[in-house]
Amino acid sequence: MRRGGERQGQMGGEELGDLFDLVHDSIFVRDLDGRVLAWNAASAELYGWDADAARTQPAHELLTTRHADPLPDLEARLLADGRWDGELMRRAADGRELVIEARWSLQRDARGQPTAIVETGRDITARRATEDALRKSERRYRNLFGAMAVSYWDLDFFAVGQMLWQLRADGVTDFATYLAAHPEVSREMMRVTRVIDVNEETCALYRADKAALVAGDVERFWPEASTHVYSASVVAAVSRAPSFSAETRLRRWDGAEFDALFTACFPRESVGAGSLLIGVIDLTERNQAQAALHALQAEFAHAARVSMLGELTASIAHEVNQPLAAISTNASAGKRWLSRAEPDLDELRGINDRIVADAQRAAAIIARVRGMAERRAPEVGPIAINPVIEEALGFLRHELQGKGVTVSLSLAPDLPPVTADRTQLQQVLVNLAVNAIQAMVNAGAETRTLALRSEAADGGGVRVSVSDSGPGIPDENLPRLFQSFFTTKDGGMGMGLPICRSILESHGGTIEARNGPDGGASFLFTLPAAEV
Amino acid sequence: MTAADPLISIVEDDESLRQALIGLVRSLGYRVAGYPNAEDFLAADARERSDCVVTDIQMPGLSGIELKERLTAEGVGTPVIMVTARAEPALKDRALASGAFCFLKKPFEVDALIECLERALAA
Repeated sequence: MRRGGERQGQMGGEELGDLFDLVHDSIFVRDLDGRVLAWNAASAELYGWDADAARTQPAHELLTTRHADPLPDLEARLLADGRWDGELMRRAADGRELVIEARWSLQRDARGQPTAIVETGRDITARRATEDALRKSERRYRNLFGAMAVSYWDLDFFAVGQMLWQLRADGVTDFATYLAAHPEVSREMMRVTRVIDVNEETCALYRADKAALVAGDVERFWPEASTHVYSASVVAAVSRAPSFSAETRLRRWDGAEFDALFTACFPRESVGAGSLLIGVIDLTERNQAQAALHALQAEFAHAARVSMLGELTASIAHEVNQPLAAISTNASAGKRWLSRAEPDLDELRGINDRIVADAQRAAAIIARVRGMAERRAPEVGPIAINPVIEEALGFLRHELQGKGVTVSLSLAPDLPPVTADRTQLQQVLVNLAVNAIQAMVNAGAETRTLALRSEAADGGGVRVSVSDSGPGIPDENLPRLFQSFFTTKDGGMGMGLPICRSILESHGGTIEARNGPDGGASFLFTLPAAEV
Repeated sequence: MTAADPLISIVEDDESLRQALIGLVRSLGYRVAGYPNAEDFLAADARERSDCVVTDIQMPGLSGIELKERLTAEGVGTPVIMVTARAEPALKDRALASGAFCFLKKPFEVDALIECLERALAA
């Protein structure tokens, strides 16, 4: 474009046309009143008005130009400075809103008098929309980061990446095994991790000032005993897992430990950039509530066991009396052999052995009863179910015999172990069996059969059924059986079955009651297989 | 011990108590035979030869009371001493009603059992 007022009337004419129209940016010229003098092809494309439609039109009205400042102010600045640039809001012929990055320059004639304004403009609508979206998303993320009731840590683990790279170069392929054998390497990784940022919740949870946390490393927050969890998170990141989470113990700024859920996300792009977002949730209260619940459940289970022992007093007395009767009988026989002129030593030895065996038998019965009566914390571990079923029956031997009940036992071999407390599981079995015996006796059932069956359950666990040949459960009672204080027994507390259910559920199992096809009630419970 | 010595039969399902009773009877100088249940006792045809039967009440199969009733029905008058670890008063009444010579509770006074046994043999 040439300078010179004498030629302004021809601007945009044939001489400049080719070059003018080849430019990618929108260029148009307006006089000092704002009327369009020249309008290139890119302007026509951008704004939707062709050159003929635009020429002589007042540009700002044509394009509905808007700016945060009044347009006369902008023009005044242009006149003072000779140029202006900034972003303008405009509307195209078809009504589209546009964001234009515009540059105005003032044209002067030979005497230095302003003659025209040249504007070059670029459509930045799309770019601005993207930037806005990004800003909003960043703000949202910032808000989340700041306001969530979760402790967030933005970490720079670039140096950890370098350590891992070096280990790989040194021939380490199995990081899990390597880090398990070298916890000091994991500790070193903690020391080279930099804290970029933390949110308010982190300061509250860790009882630390943000200033103390940021730019520090993370080693002090990991008790030695939790190092393996940190190592596992590193292994997860290395093996390109999308995320990692584990319950562990972490340490506050003051050194106090707390139960935590540690989570880490490994989006490919941020891992590539060497940064990592960590979330920590305080599980202290949840775990305390759970512990209180477990303690309460154990209390109830204990109370139920004691009450069950009460119901079995006669049977237990019978069982203890057998070896006691044998002992006193043997002792009396021994006295007689001894008082003979020539004591029969063989008889005496036999008697002595039998007394020892009977005393042991009595002691074993008492130990079994005491095990049931004792108040102690459950010891949950992997156990085989079939021996527990057999022990429960041993407990009820005299009860079954006294009430004329025949036992039918069908125990599947090769069942997986279940994770359970032996005493509580035995309690469930004894409770269900006692219910079954009472149901058959109270109904005056002719044939009294107690069937215990163990089998593999769908999904890998174990299923046990306790079935009787009694009258079955009235349909209207089935839905209420496991409710507390529901009982059909005289003097019953209505806590036996609810406690059975709470015991099984605390072991991850379920229980249900049914009536068998040939009558009789059936209680079925399942327990998941112990994790190996 | 000779064939002339009295024969005492012990019917008791609890193995160790049965052995103890057998030992006791032997120490008294009598002949003794032990059976784990009433059916075995009846099958061994010991009812004719026994001079006294000491039986438990609760056993799998026939109870001690049913055994006594069976003997009575067959006209066998062998005295039957019943022992039990159960405490229900009704049981004693039923035992005595069936014609038990003695009713003893476990763990019984052994002297009481011997005294009963000797009375039964003298009868």
